[in-house]
Amino acid sequence: MLNEHSPRSTPQESGGTIPQEWRDEFDAAARRPLPTRMRYAFIKTYRPVLDDVKYRSFESMAEYRRWCERELPEWLGYARV
Amino acid sequence: MPAFDYKQAQEVRDAFAREGARYLFLGKSGAILLGFPDTTQDADLLCDRSPDNTERLVRAIASLGFDLTPEQQAEIRRGKDFIQLKNGPFDLDLIFAPDGIEGFDDAWKRRADVDGFPVCHIDDIIASKRAANRVKDRESLPRLLAFREYLREHGRL
Repeated sequence: MLNEHSPRSTPQESGGTIPQEWRDEFDAAARRPLPTRMRYAFIKTYRPVLDDVKYRSFESMAEYRRWCERELPEWLGYARV
Repeated sequence: MPAFDYKQAQEVRDAFAREGARYLFLGKSGAILLGFPDTTQDADLLCDRSPDNTERLVRAIASLGFDLTPEQQAEIRRGKDFIQLKNGPFDLDLIFAPDGIEGFDDAWKRRADVDGFPVCHIDDIIASKRAANRVKDRESLPRLLAFREYLREHGRL
């Protein structure tokens, strides 16, 4: 799965400094009121399997993680590294 | 179903407050409330699983228009570790035992308040992502770490 926010370097790679393009995005977000931030942030697209039932529950997070790895398409990114 | 929006977040906040239910926004939805610019599909709520609170949760969630069967209500009442609700006006994930967070009370003490929304501390959001260690979490972590540094720089931690 591609991350739309992939800078040329990460904080770890750059010794703890924040990549300028991320800093610009954080600054821009800080200027927006919360309702606007949320309008940009929450999206809805169909996710196969995950969105196919109205209710799902698990006795443990480990059980949920195993279910994700067994049932969900890999490209959704729910498999553990 | 449309995406979760500010008005729905207000409805969650107000319904949970009316019932006195304790919860915290967690995950990327929590980070977004803290100012993190990114996208997500899910509203994740870390919930206190004490019996009194889970009863309050059931009432709050039902009042929002979720169509809960008696069996589903019973699962919320006993604080089953992870519950996905897609039977209401928007999707909600209820998390009673998140990866990387020891207990609700500790997370509650560290919480941030954003326009009346109770939100997990950025350290807890990062800890849960680290512990979950999924592909999508690994992709988010560098940017979340940078955001935490940004919050520190701006005196917001």
